Amino acid sequence: MTDTRPMSRMSRSAKTDLAISLLLIAAAIALPFMIDSRYILGQVVLALFYATIASQWNLLFGFSGIFSLAQMAIFAFGGYATAMLCFYFGWNVWAALVPGALGAVLFSLVVGLACLRLTGVYVALLTLAIAQTMYLLIVTDTECFVMVGSVCRQFTGGAVGFARFGDLGTRALLRAQWLVGNYAIIAVLFAATMVFTYAIVKSPIGLAFRALKDNPGYAVARGVNRFQAQLLVFGISAFFTGLAGGFYAAHFQAIGPGVLSMSQLMFIIAIVVVGGVGTFWGPLVGTVVLVLADELMRESGEFRTLGLGLIIALSVVLMPKGLVGRFGDLVRWLARRRTGPTGSNIVQSPAPAGK
Amino acid sequence: MTDVLMAILVAGFTSGALYALATVGLSLVWGSMGMLNMAHAAMLTLGGYVAFTVITSLGLPIAIGFAGAILVGAAAGAILYFAIVRNLLKNDKSTFESNVMIATVGIGIALENAILLIYGGQPLKQPVSIAGAFRLGPLTLPWQNLMIIAVVVVMMVVVSLALGRTRMGRAIRATAQNRDAAQLMGVAVNRVYLQVLMLSGALAGICGVMVSSMTQLSPPLGNDPMLKAFIMCVVAGLGNLPGAVAAALGLALLESFVQYALGARWGFPSLLFVVIAVLIWRPSGLFGRAEIRRM
Repeated sequence: MTDTRPMSRMSRSAKTDLAISLLLIAAAIALPFMIDSRYILGQVVLALFYATIASQWNLLFGFSGIFSLAQMAIFAFGGYATAMLCFYFGWNVWAALVPGALGAVLFSLVVGLACLRLTGVYVALLTLAIAQTMYLLIVTDTECFVMVGSVCRQFTGGAVGFARFGDLGTRALLRAQWLVGNYAIIAVLFAATMVFTYAIVKSPIGLAFRALKDNPGYAVARGVNRFQAQLLVFGISAFFTGLAGGFYAAHFQAIGPGVLSMSQLMFIIAIVVVGGVGTFWGPLVGTVVLVLADELMRESGEFRTLGLGLIIALSVVLMPKGLVGRFGDLVRWLARRRTGPTGSNIVQSPAPAGK
Repeated sequence: MTDVLMAILVAGFTSGALYALATVGLSLVWGSMGMLNMAHAAMLTLGGYVAFTVITSLGLPIAIGFAGAILVGAAAGAILYFAIVRNLLKNDKSTFESNVMIATVGIGIALENAILLIYGGQPLKQPVSIAGAFRLGPLTLPWQNLMIIAVVVVMMVVVSLALGRTRMGRAIRATAQNRDAAQLMGVAVNRVYLQVLMLSGALAGICGVMVSSMTQLSPPLGNDPMLKAFIMCVVAGLGNLPGAVAAALGLALLESFVQYALGARWGFPSLLFVVIAVLIWRPSGLFGRAEIRRM
């Protein structure tokens, strides 16, 4: 009887998370029926990609304290691997997605191994250098690998990248409504990523990640295997990031070195920082806020990047825990106000009675 | 053969001198405050553009252009301190390292974009340049490269005198060694931070003028030298100034040899391989002390 109690009774935060998830699922199903504009739906799909990448970077940085700047490189690796499998071997996109993601995992494990003995900013600098090298090697690739018609094509696609290697099959199946089909696929990908991330964060492995972040020395002394845990978190986050990369390439039917640019990486970091580092819903909140802000700033055109930079700097200074953290402060402040001085008496009175 | 070797050496030493200047600016800030300034690249670019404005648009002499770059760089450092660093220092100490990095990334993007909006994206010619070359028998040394090396050497001497001989330098070194002890001994740590950021900004300003005189002015000008300066800092061990200079010269020579032997595109990757090898062998850099952190 007592054994089943913790199982059947959910904690309050888990209940809140479940309620939020149900609301979000309902909203996600209702969305395509409410939006007619293809442009908006396209931006929503893009936002879902951002949210997926951001949630995995949050797993790496927010929950495990590893300041890796190779996130977009891993994303690009998954996308490129998928695109290249389809382009060179004529695979179906669906068949190439998981091998592409596994390729990204391997790449990420190598990065993780290189970072294993480093801490803090050294990790950031090394991963930034790795990502930048990957970008430079792709952009400066000019050697002919195969000839497509009369056009020379580089092994890595060069500065142009890959295009026309297949799609998710929604165009043939749904015709004019293909975008809704792609939206559904990407939404499911995002949901699966979130569910899996939740399971990881709440599991003993997630606790180990957090222990290593908060106090590495104590965690290792208590028997947490740093080598194993760090490689594991690099591998797990890379799988979903790489998978998202593959879906990204398939959705846009193109992938190029542009995804490796500094501004893309900064956008992901900004999402997590504005939403709340180390909070489960932070990346999603950050995505909604920043994509909306980005759309609003599109009107003012050239001030977009300037605004983005200032938003990052200001939110670090003004909201170190992000919007989710500020929201938590607000809820606690309201609760304190509502209970007030009389309320606190009521809360305190059962304690002596219990003794 | 000697011609080629000479050209490689001249190119290597010139870029090495530039990298050393960028590296010292970064390393100074890291060593004394544990802050990685990601806006350093934009401050470099800012210095280059200020010199351009003063000399070309206002028609003032080159020396005033230099002075303008130094002053604006120092002012940018001061603004960075008052707007960002001072506020972040109030928060939890353990989050300062990553928070300040993210915040300066944001500032860097904003500054680079502001420059892009004001001056436009087209490359501009930096007026600080000297034509001609110095001939010594079979050797040809462009005056431009000699000037850069001379300016960098002068700056290095100035910085080492400022750190070694002045009261301010002693306070900076004390803070770098042990912040809490320095504070207890009456060093105004916050003022030291302001001074370090201003000094680093001034160095970035000069470095920007020099870098742009070798190539051209463009808004992303500072990014490439800064990324390489980061690598050199890491190889040397963050915060170690003489080590940073040595690593900058060594890696720049290696880069120019690799670029000659294998082609320009392998220059940067070869630096990366060196870094990874060094970090696996010595995780806190070649000259860095292994830091013992108390839990």
